[in-house]
Amino acid sequence: MDTIMIDGLSFALPLFIMAIGGIYSERSGIVMLALEGLQGFGAFVGAMTVILSRFYLGNSSPYLIYIAMVAGMIGGSLFSIIHALLCVKFKARQVISGVVVNTLAVALTTFLTSVINGIITGEASNKFQIGVSSRFTVPVLSEIPIFGGLFKNMYPFEIVILVIALYCWYLLYKTKFGLRLRACGENPHSLDAAGGDVGKTQFIAIMICGALSGLGGIFIAYSVSGIFSPTIYMGYGYLSIAALIFGNWKIPRTFAVCLFFGFARSVVYQLLLKLGMPSNYTDLFLILPYVLTLLLLIFFSKHNHPPRAVGEIFDKSKR
Amino acid sequence: MSEYIVEMRHITKRFPGIVANDDISIGIKKGEIFAFLGENGAGKSTLMSMLFGMYEPDEGEILVRGEKVKLSSSNEAAALNIGMVHQHFKLVDNYTIAENIILGIEPIKKIGGFIPYVDCKGAQEKIRELSKAYGLEVDPCQIVETVNVSIQQRVEILKMLYREAEILIFDEPTAVLTPQEIQYLLDIMEELRNKGKTIILITHKLEEIKRIADRCAILRRGKLVKVLNVNETTTQEMANLMVGREVVFEQEKSPANFGEVLLEVEDLTVRNEDKFDVVKNVNFSIRRGEIFAIAGVSGNGQIEIADAIAGLIKPQKGAIKLKGKDITDESIRRRTEDGMSYIPEDRQRLGVILDFSLEDNLAIKRYYREPFSQKGILKREGFQKFAEELIDRYDIRSGQGAKTTTRSMSGGNQQKAIVAREISLESDLMIFVQPTRGLDIGAIENIQKHILRERDKGKAVLLISLELDEVMSLADTIGVIYNGELQKISPAEELTTNQVGEYMMGVKS
Ligand SMILES: Nc1ncnc2c1ncn2[C@@H]1O[C@H](COP(=O)(O)OP(=O)(O)O)[C@@H](O)[C@H]1O
Ligand SMILES: [Mg+2]
Repeated sequence: MDTIMIDGLSFALPLFIMAIGGIYSERSGIVMLALEGLQGFGAFVGAMTVILSRFYLGNSSPYLIYIAMVAGMIGGSLFSIIHALLCVKFKARQVISGVVVNTLAVALTTFLTSVINGIITGEASNKFQIGVSSRFTVPVLSEIPIFGGLFKNMYPFEIVILVIALYCWYLLYKTKFGLRLRACGENPHSLDAAGGDVGKTQFIAIMICGALSGLGGIFIAYSVSGIFSPTIYMGYGYLSIAALIFGNWKIPRTFAVCLFFGFARSVVYQLLLKLGMPSNYTDLFLILPYVLTLLLLIFFSKHNHPPRAVGEIFDKSKR
Repeated sequence: MSEYIVEMRHITKRFPGIVANDDISIGIKKGEIFAFLGENGAGKSTLMSMLFGMYEPDEGEILVRGEKVKLSSSNEAAALNIGMVHQHFKLVDNYTIAENIILGIEPIKKIGGFIPYVDCKGAQEKIRELSKAYGLEVDPCQIVETVNVSIQQRVEILKMLYREAEILIFDEPTAVLTPQEIQYLLDIMEELRNKGKTIILITHKLEEIKRIADRCAILRRGKLVKVLNVNETTTQEMANLMVGREVVFEQEKSPANFGEVLLEVEDLTVRNEDKFDVVKNVNFSIRRGEIFAIAGVSGNGQIEIADAIAGLIKPQKGAIKLKGKDITDESIRRRTEDGMSYIPEDRQRLGVILDFSLEDNLAIKRYYREPFSQKGILKREGFQKFAEELIDRYDIRSGQGAKTTTRSMSGGNQQKAIVAREISLESDLMIFVQPTRGLDIGAIENIQKHILRERDKGKAVLLISLELDEVMSLADTIGVIYNGELQKISPAEELTTNQVGEYMMGVKS
């Protein structure tokens, strides 16, 4: 039971933070298919920083994890500038730009990883071995029956993500910036006529998206897998796009969807372990939650409302 | 300081292929209602957009309160207390009215002195006060997409007042409103003037100007024709100046000369998506040389009759016969080839493809035939030649001739293009749905003339119009629809306007 809770949560939360990034971008009117590339690049920068910092701080420094988070976020948001420039400044097709960012991220990070490894260790491996961050257990809460598992063996990331998610919700719904951002995604002309700067708002939204994706990426690299390698591109980004669509572009609902994804996955996984199936079958059964999701999407997507102006190229003079 | 609150001197503004404003100089006094009158495409919106900072003039200068200003964004205009209600509203549909009004100048409060948030409650209070002060009833908590256009327009006005605008520009504010709503709006404008605001009203409706404006500038094809004191002029004079020639308000109609029956509609019933019969057992027929007009209040099923005949919707039951042949189940293209032309109500959605060029739109019903294509390959010369011919014959005005993007053309000229295309099909049956809605008098006159000309050529015409005047002046036979049923079919000369009005309301049967 505890394993289900622990694994479920540590799978759900990185998805969730990336999905929030996607929500920011899409609700500002920019199609965001680049989550996959942004999380990968963020993870790469984070992992690289960890490798380099270890020389100065030692292998077990407690600061490493926070340095990794900050570096991951900076990396993701810097890389997202490509998407922002293409979409906002040069008014390119947003779907294509997203695909470009994804492809570029895979190629660039794989290449750079080998180069950097070559310099440091003299061996051109495409992996950064960063290990798994330390964990902790929340005292009293973890004693609760069944749900206590949620508070056992937590990664520091999980707390950080929850706090940031809460802040993102506040920023999107309660502040001036959020009001303007959502207006951009519905009818950018309204903001323009009211004296707001549509381009700037979208640019910032995309960079926030990059930072959040980067955080998600380094979480996966530093806690779940313990390495940075091209395996980081196994579809988490796309899964979080599915989550945000299923979540109707709203943060609380998307949270629920991510938890559902996470727990469905860990439940199925544990079941398969119990049944002792050979591993090629396990992989097959692991797609069950997603098949279920697809089916649910078919039934629920009628009631879903994407931001009205998402994907539209904003042209001031268009009537 | 000069007597003018706004002065525009020698303003020229060019767009590709067109001079939208040509050396225009005007002065607007504080506290007056100043109207701009002009046909579609005369340059009214462009001129006022420059005062609102959306475009910058190529030449000339703008003075506000006696000082020369450079307006390069709407922010700068707003800082000078200038506000504008655009022709197409700029609202966020799923925001509340209050959120729409405060967007861009959000009032901020802080929880515990340091966590800032947008103060919607306070804004709602302030909006309620404003709305009381000017008689603009709205509920600030309502979501914009749930309220009607008249209220959405009030939101746009409140948006200006919330920003403490003193100079209020209205761009064709009445185009989307019903007569009662227009009345209400005009009252509001007078109220605003009485409270000391300066009002600029862009319109092509003469009665409105006559009713509330103090002075009126007339624009024609980008040039300023004249500035008039409204109480010293007549509607006829304004109309003539605007169009540039003598305008006939009533079309001259030759006596009818009916031929054989061309269209027969039998027991037509149309059901809408909510499984509700919007057209019920309608029977009528149209002869050659006859204009059959369906009069009725909007939403009583008249559009559905036209759509069913044109093949856009499938009737629940009944038959439609063209020249004796049952076409009830035929495709739209077959109907066109059998001799049916259709001018739809929603011209921008169904009439043209806005981002196609004018020549493509003109050929769109025949592109697959000679001279537009040969063996399945398009012949561009054919498109161009045909378009130029129609542009010439029907006086379709556009920036770059046949190659103009249809979107950049004015509504009146888009409609002229559709009418030209449909007439050029030489169909025996012409269906006109709301053919003059939203057009200026010059264009209305032009289109009505074409309708009559088609009838005189021996075509059968089905005219569906919400304008009673139009029905009365054009129709040979009138069918009045109420609640999906044709209440009365009668030769036009046997009905008075009042009687038709009573049938339309369902009071007489
Ligand atoms: N953004 C634009 N680009 C190109 N042409 C334009 C643009 N805006 C207006 N025009 C052209 O300028 C002329 C004047 O337009 P407009 O000011 O909208 O007329 P009005 O408001 O009097 O109907 C029209 O011929 C129109 O097609
Ligand atoms: Mg206009």
